[in-house]
Order: sequence, then structure tokens, then C-alpha cells
Amino acid sequence: MRLGIVRGHVVLNKAVPELAGTRLLLVDPLTAPNLAAANGLGGGTPLVVADHLAPDVGQTIAFVEGREAANPYWPGRAPVDAYCSLLVDRVDFKPPAQDAPLPGGQVRT
Amino acid sequence: MYLARIDGTLTSTHKHPTLAGTRLLVARRLEADGSAVGEPVVVVDRLGARHGSTVVVSTDGDYLRRRLGDTTPARLAVVGLVDAVGSGDRP
Repeated sequence: MRLGIVRGHVVLNKAVPELAGTRLLLVDPLTAPNLAAANGLGGGTPLVVADHLAPDVGQTIAFVEGREAANPYWPGRAPVDAYCSLLVDRVDFKPPAQDAPLPGGQVRT
Repeated sequence: MYLARIDGTLTSTHKHPTLAGTRLLVARRLEADGSAVGEPVVVVDRLGARHGSTVVVSTDGDYLRRRLGDTTPARLAVVGLVDAVGSGDRP
């Protein structure tokens, strides 16, 4: 799952039958610098995410991508490759000030 | 599968029911030199990884599907805690 900020809702005029009734969010994925800064910016390339949790605009969510995004529709099928798995209450993101070598530290690069 | 570093934790009240009770961590994928790359990802951890831990993350959603249920919208899981990464013969 990646993290993203909900920027809006997508309303369809016409859709394939399998998508009927599916709520769609427009989501701005969060980059590491923006997540660390908690500045309200996303910074990724926006994508459309299927949803059952009804987040507000501005809410941070986590979304799953790939085949697993259609799991909630099982045993039905949906042409969905991104799905809102959870609404984030709080992220405690504290990357180290500097990257360190891998443990063991013997990889030749 | 890839190496990742645990850089944070995440709490969520409203989530897919299959994710209730799961431990969710924020990770960054690592290059061979240990530098972090790409966007942060949320991973499901059942092994007890800690902040700063180096872990192996699998993108095989079947692992979580078997444990959390067929409808679970989750894919990335911690499948190993890394002790050391070496380039010599087998440890």
C-alpha cells in the first residue's frame, strides 16, 4: 500500500457494468519528503482509487495497488487496480537523518 | 521481494474489516548501498519488526489473503527480519 491524500471524487457519466455504484477517489500519492514534513502536499502522480470508506477531501489514506485491489469484490469481479484500504488517523514517520549501510555492510556496489 | 527499512508506524480506526488487529508499519525500499528509494509504503507485519529494522518485504498478496481472508485489500507484508546482508560465500 502507498499513502495518499484525497483530492476529490470522480463522477462517471457512463461506465462498464462492473463499475456501477463504485465510489472513485482522486488521490495524490505521498512522497517521503512530504510525508516527513506533514505539509499537506502529496507530490506523486495522481490516480483514481476505488473506495468503500468515504474519506473526506484532504484525508490521508492508504491504498493497495494491483490484483489485490479487486479482492474486496471477491467472489465478484471488478476492473479495479487501486483500492482505499484504510483511513489514516496518525502516521509516525521518522526516517533516519542519514541512510546507513545495510546490516553486515559487506555488499559491493 | 526486496529489502526495506521500517521508518514509522501507522494507526487507523476506519479500515477494511480484514485489517482489524493487524500491525501496520511504514517502510522504505532500500538500494544495495542502504539508501532509501521510492515512495513510503504501508506493510503488514506479523514478525515484530521495529523502527529502524531492515526487513524483507514480499509483494505476494496471497500470503496475506490466506491469513486475513479472501477479500483483504492488502499486498505488502514483512516476511523476514534481516540479520546481515553479505557478499561473501553463504553465511
